[in-house]
Amino acid sequence: MAPEKTSPGLVDLEKTSPEISGMGHKMKRKEDSRFTQGRGNYVDDVNLPHMVYGHMVRSPYAHARIKSINTEAAKKLPGVLAIITGEDLAKANLAWMPTLFFDKQMVLATGKVLFQAQEVAFVVAEDRYVAADAAELVEVDYEELPVLVDPHKATDPSSPILREDREEKSNHIFHWEVGDKQATDKAFTDSAVNAKVHAVFQRCHPAPLETCGCVADFNKATERLTIYLTSQAPHAHRTLFALVGGIPEQNIRVVSPDIGGGFGNKVPIYPGYVCAVVASLTLGVPVKWIETRSENLQSTGFARDYHMTAELAADKEGKIKAMRVKTLADHGAFNAAAQPTKFPAGLFSVCTGSYDYPAAFCEVDGVYTNKAPGGIAYRCSFRITEAAYLIERAVDVLALDLKMDPVELRRKNFIQPNQFPYATPLGWTYDSGDYEGALDKALKMVGYTELRKEQEEKRKKGELMGIGISSFTEAVGAGPAHTFDIAGIKMFDSAEIRIHPTGKAICRMGTKSQGQGHETTYAQIVAQELGIPAKDVIIEEGDTDTAPYGLGTYASRSTPTSGAATAMAARKIRDKARKIAAFLLEASEEDLEWEPGKFFVKGAPGKAKTIQEIAFAAYTNIPPGLEAGLEAVNYYDPPNLTFPFGTYIAVVDIDKGTGEIKVRKFVAVDDCGNVINPMIVEGQIHGGLTEGLAIAFMQQIDYDENGNVSGGTFMDYLVPTAVETPHWNTGLTCTPSPHHPFGAKGVGESPNVGSPAAFVNAVVDALSHLGVRHIDMPITPWKVWNILKEKGIAS
Amino acid sequence: MAVKIEKTFRVDEPIEKVWAFLKDPKKVGTCVPGAQITEQVDERTYKGAIKVKVGPSVTDYKGEVQIVRLDEAAHEIEILGKGQDVRGKGSASMKMTGKLQTVDGGTEVINSSELNVVGILAQMGARVITEVSNIMFEQFVNNFRKQLQSPDAAQGEMAAAKPISGVGLAFSALKASFSRHSGSEETKSDTPDSTKTTDDSGVK
Repeated sequence: MAPEKTSPGLVDLEKTSPEISGMGHKMKRKEDSRFTQGRGNYVDDVNLPHMVYGHMVRSPYAHARIKSINTEAAKKLPGVLAIITGEDLAKANLAWMPTLFFDKQMVLATGKVLFQAQEVAFVVAEDRYVAADAAELVEVDYEELPVLVDPHKATDPSSPILREDREEKSNHIFHWEVGDKQATDKAFTDSAVNAKVHAVFQRCHPAPLETCGCVADFNKATERLTIYLTSQAPHAHRTLFALVGGIPEQNIRVVSPDIGGGFGNKVPIYPGYVCAVVASLTLGVPVKWIETRSENLQSTGFARDYHMTAELAADKEGKIKAMRVKTLADHGAFNAAAQPTKFPAGLFSVCTGSYDYPAAFCEVDGVYTNKAPGGIAYRCSFRITEAAYLIERAVDVLALDLKMDPVELRRKNFIQPNQFPYATPLGWTYDSGDYEGALDKALKMVGYTELRKEQEEKRKKGELMGIGISSFTEAVGAGPAHTFDIAGIKMFDSAEIRIHPTGKAICRMGTKSQGQGHETTYAQIVAQELGIPAKDVIIEEGDTDTAPYGLGTYASRSTPTSGAATAMAARKIRDKARKIAAFLLEASEEDLEWEPGKFFVKGAPGKAKTIQEIAFAAYTNIPPGLEAGLEAVNYYDPPNLTFPFGTYIAVVDIDKGTGEIKVRKFVAVDDCGNVINPMIVEGQIHGGLTEGLAIAFMQQIDYDENGNVSGGTFMDYLVPTAVETPHWNTGLTCTPSPHHPFGAKGVGESPNVGSPAAFVNAVVDALSHLGVRHIDMPITPWKVWNILKEKGIAS
Repeated sequence: MAVKIEKTFRVDEPIEKVWAFLKDPKKVGTCVPGAQITEQVDERTYKGAIKVKVGPSVTDYKGEVQIVRLDEAAHEIEILGKGQDVRGKGSASMKMTGKLQTVDGGTEVINSSELNVVGILAQMGARVITEVSNIMFEQFVNNFRKQLQSPDAAQGEMAAAKPISGVGLAFSALKASFSRHSGSEETKSDTPDSTKTTDDSGVK
């Protein structure tokens, strides 16, 4: 996995020794020794004295009025301590809570329920099983109401109005548009070709290995509330608990221990957390609440559910002139999208992709339906995945219409390396890119020319084989304070580094790893900047009492923000270290040169002080006029997003008898700028591609006409195992971000963002000679077999 | 979650005997595993209850059964059942048409049912619900046959019957109650995802 331009993925950065293991070293993950030995500490591992347990009573109906709730039988069960209903919460003004996107959401239902599995009552008992049994005994009398499932019918006069709490009696949430409509429409009128595709990015769920949960521990003596929380953003959650719950912020401590995967699912605040906090405040003992798998799939933040239409205008030679996008966004019962406040449709407007054309117009309408709330960013920066999927699908449809090779069409339209920074027609400024470089490398790795020949041969024999390309660009690292905030809090992030007298270090960040390997990569950044071996650097995140304030980890933002802050803080330390070294070496600061790990006098490499010696002096031999200690904090406000990119190619074979799709080969060439740890990057790519495979072929949170969830268990919501997962061939090119302190871009989401289009393009390519232009995900064997049957070629 | 099940089978009894039984919910109700007809509201409306145990979850439906259409001449009956779980776990409704035809030496029962389930059970999906319906149907047919042959003996047995324990649905049982008998049945099920089931696909 050696990047093309320089080994191993470092442009303009010196590679440190293996002892130091700075950036570019394939250092093994420091956290893995505890994870692989079962010594992790997850929220459900937190067990406190006198702790009791909560269990949620949930609605079986998608839309129903609550006539009464009878808790008498449940209360009589021995061991039951309390049963909280929406009416109880209403007395404390807590029946509703704000969502992260200008809406509010019921904590426990009052009046009516709006989606199946909605939270209706919270049972607290001495034991988890008693709590679950008592929940079964809570009798809720419902009156069923007409259900709205299809988002296209949301604004029909015949559809029921779901949100009676809102002043606006409509299921329409927002209309958002961006771009030059006039110029775009004109380009369409003037262009010879107009390719159009309707593509639904189905409702998916991140389904992290660990479900959501918390332990709320209110100490009546100290009046402090400690919440052990499955949180991707502990600081933001602390502030929200303070603002919504009215608890003084200094009295709240949020601790995110080890987190077993988040993928955006652990960004929102869920009713279960609030109920556990209320129960602990009331009972004065710790209250644990942990979701079951089905509760997680059915009620917590879903992703996507974008119903999109894209049009591309082009000339006959295939030069794209404009893009027009119209999208309907199904947000479920409450708009609980977790995204920056200026962007109701997230960063969906990067949908112009990797291509250079002057005009674009994009509009999005959000609506309510009787489904679980959400619209979270599943391993993506707020609707980037939907955007990348749409443009890469649309380009393939255009290639079909033009009877042009999709590679040639992409090449013809790519933004060229000398055009960066590139201003897109919808307002983004891409920092750097070399799209053709990544495409060429992927084509070579996959053997594109030979594959096309093979495909031609196979078609003659009636066999079905397809090649799908996706040359995506994504936007990560939210984000610059002038544009990005969540609930008003600017999206900077932070790092604090303390060097101990013996030259070892501890660093704390405002981000929170959920499996990304922060304990290793941040240590490597410190090693790169200060020459302290990465193994000597401890990384601590997730405790709001100790870590500097930050917005957390999602949107591939840790490296672009906290990673940058780590480098900036380290550089502050290096500046102070230079002063100390000058004092120790009796030289002037200007006469000192730095190499990773030491300062030496110019022209006299023997006259040197190591960072460890300098650290010791910072506590034992302090230069006059200088503060003792060696530490620094940085809050980094990135000047722009970073724009990773890549080309993915999928090769599929389709069984005409069963409709089964086999991914024979998959090549992923990524460019995430300078690489901190190539092994972790590769791991990220593998994980994201596997998720992309699942989305393309297996997964959907679907609802029937009554609003019943189908896809609410792992029986129906399929998770790929090693059996279904093909071998991933990965490669890198390296185009550093010009504005990031060490030229990195972030990589976690690229494979999830870029791969669905490659898979779908491959399947459509295999069937395109039969007149197939598009198939919606998940592309199951059943769907394919029906198409083959319809085309008369199923065997 | 809607499931449509069509079944046709024959029994070795004269049509009028079968018809007399089929059109009386009080009699037929006792054949439904886990079901009870508790009250007759009017000539065509009855109150009933049915308990279905699905895995760890017991659903206790209470509701009404109504004869919507009764065509004595054509031997056709249309029935609508609706019920809600007493603890609010969901509801179910069923529309069933049963038609009898004289065939060589016996009676053919043509049954068509549309079952609509809302709530926790519905999440189990069409494949489970359809199978459960098939099992309940089979049990019903056995009970029904016994009742037709020796009403009194069967009655006692029925009273001792426990709520059905399987993966099942209250009103799938009621639906099954209006088609009958085992032997050589022909089953056709249409569900939204068009899964097909056959009568021998029993749940263990």
